[in-house]
Amino acid sequence: MNRPERFLVRVGAMASKEVMHIRRDPRTLYMALAMPVVMLLIFGFGVSFDMDHIPLVVLDGDRSDASRSLIRAVSAGHEFQIAADSDEATALRMIRRGQALAALAIPTNYERDLAAGRDGEVQLIVDGADGVVANQILSKIDGLVRAESLRRIDVAAEPPLQVKVFTLFNPEARSALFMVPGLAVYLLAVAAVLLTALTVSGEWERGSMEQLFASPVGRLEIVLGKLLPYLGLGMLQLLLVVAVGAVIFDVPIRGSTPLLFFVGFLFLVGMLGQGLFISVIARSQLVATQAGALSSLLPSLLLSGMLVPIENMPRILQALSSVIPARYFVHAMRGIMLKGTGLTILWTDLVALTIFALAILILATARFRRRLA
Amino acid sequence: MSEPSIEAVHLSRRFGSFLAVDDVSFSVARGEIFGYLGANGAGKSTTIRMLCGLLAPTAGQARVAGFDVKTAPESVKASIGYMSQKFSLYLDLPVRANIEFFGGAYGLSGPDFAARADEVLRLCDLEHERDAITGSLPGGIRQRLALGCAILHRPAVLFLDEPTAGVDPVARRHFWRFIRALAREGTTIFVTTHYLDEAEYCGRIGLMVDGRLVALDTPGALKKRYVPDRVLAVRGRNLAEAAASLRGRPGIIAVEPFGAGLHLQVAAAEWNADSVAHALTSAGAQAVEVEAGDPTLEDVFLAVVAQPREARAP
Repeated sequence: MNRPERFLVRVGAMASKEVMHIRRDPRTLYMALAMPVVMLLIFGFGVSFDMDHIPLVVLDGDRSDASRSLIRAVSAGHEFQIAADSDEATALRMIRRGQALAALAIPTNYERDLAAGRDGEVQLIVDGADGVVANQILSKIDGLVRAESLRRIDVAAEPPLQVKVFTLFNPEARSALFMVPGLAVYLLAVAAVLLTALTVSGEWERGSMEQLFASPVGRLEIVLGKLLPYLGLGMLQLLLVVAVGAVIFDVPIRGSTPLLFFVGFLFLVGMLGQGLFISVIARSQLVATQAGALSSLLPSLLLSGMLVPIENMPRILQALSSVIPARYFVHAMRGIMLKGTGLTILWTDLVALTIFALAILILATARFRRRLA
Repeated sequence: MSEPSIEAVHLSRRFGSFLAVDDVSFSVARGEIFGYLGANGAGKSTTIRMLCGLLAPTAGQARVAGFDVKTAPESVKASIGYMSQKFSLYLDLPVRANIEFFGGAYGLSGPDFAARADEVLRLCDLEHERDAITGSLPGGIRQRLALGCAILHRPAVLFLDEPTAGVDPVARRHFWRFIRALAREGTTIFVTTHYLDEAEYCGRIGLMVDGRLVALDTPGALKKRYVPDRVLAVRGRNLAEAAASLRGRPGIIAVEPFGAGLHLQVAAAEWNADSVAHALTSAGAQAVEVEAGDPTLEDVFLAVVAQPREARAP
């Protein structure tokens, strides 16, 4: 038998052994296939950045037609719900207990001031513990109060300046559309890094790595044999996540599906390489699990732009995020799924992912010493 | 004479300041069973790992199956079988899958390999266990499987690191019968063990103490050299008090209780069975029977270890 043929036999032996390990260990399959779907469902249904029915306490000091009209204007939509109509002490207590998130105080003489042509001053007390929530309340109240003001001055005519907004790609501002591509990236990253980190360090712990090193199996053959099965599993995972997104959350793929899977492929190779690199260095399953979780979970959650826009990060974190492959995959996924972007724009992401994948694989193979101690 | 199967020349390995293997030289002929004996930490496994190309020597050379372990470790690896100290097959896979995997690791495939896999299963008496999950099998069967995986590619040299640790005596006997058959067919066997009774199966024995090879010869020659004295087994009544009177007399080297009787080691020039029986009887023992015993490798081992370091020489 010639060399390339033996190479294929060895890679094949490594890979099919790995497939058998996977098939015999339901935890691996659960981690790879069930967990991402479950998490996608939880996040997709559960995480919504869009708030409605915000509990609001009303402190009506005026009890006039004007004040009642304002309260009606605020509570007519689905944004706010009147939790109580009470005094200041109660309002503060309710906010502290989380029973209300804001309080609207209307002073005595509100109607009289308005009638006299003075400014009607109302006060808004907001629970600022969660900045995102507080911001949403402010902008919602602002809009509602502005509409009420316009109604009061009774302008029949259109205001001189008007902004007409057309939101592209996600006009209903559905969180699922925004979350699913990001989540897919996060779940793939965690599962891919953890799975490979576990399997290689497992060979060290079991002592079978020594047995492998005493055989003519080369390190590239070990690396490929470990990588290929998990690459297959990862692609299956990507398919599953995209399918769940499409069927359950109506997340479209406006761009090219083959391109989507090709970007996913590049990203997965990089993540598997990262897991491999960790396990080559760690050699113990415990250390490899922790290093794997830390190095995949946090960066792909916080630095990828999945939750926090990269433009909002301090400069140092922006720089750091440029070496996180998840950043490029999130960008590409959102581009392909929501905007229908093609290669002309996404080629930079592809290049970045390719560089990372090659670099980490070369690094892992180079650090992979086939000698003991 | 053809080239030796294994040849080590001034082989050393240092771990930091610890010299695990210290200037070891020996050679093993094709088809020989070479036993490597020593206490835990004496440097046995380190020597094996260097010979298998798993560990680079700090100094010295070694050739295995005609290849230099430093410059051609890949060729060495293709020509040897290695059974490590720790059982290192895949416990979650069936027996047959382990065989298939290691065959693939050695680049074997196709119908020839399928036939060889069946042959090895038969040789190692694993035909009934072929579909059993390896982890569910007892130690003796796992060890046969490990051996089977190591000989799939018909290696010229087989390295066995403590192959019978934790295996019951019957299985150990079977194992050695198999090893001897392999050696007869021309496989060179390099085996470490700390079961001294097993070492009797070896053609030659190397004794490691603190990283140094301090004795190297056939079991018989080692016994002659290190236990030149007569070993006598004594049975009888009231032996304990009588034995005390023997201690310290000229020519009496050791008096050890052994079962219900005694083991004596005496200078052959001064004592024989009759004179010992006479001396014991006159010291109060009754019904004394003295039998000449054979020195064991255990006696050799204790004698070698008891030597001062400078006096030890291979």
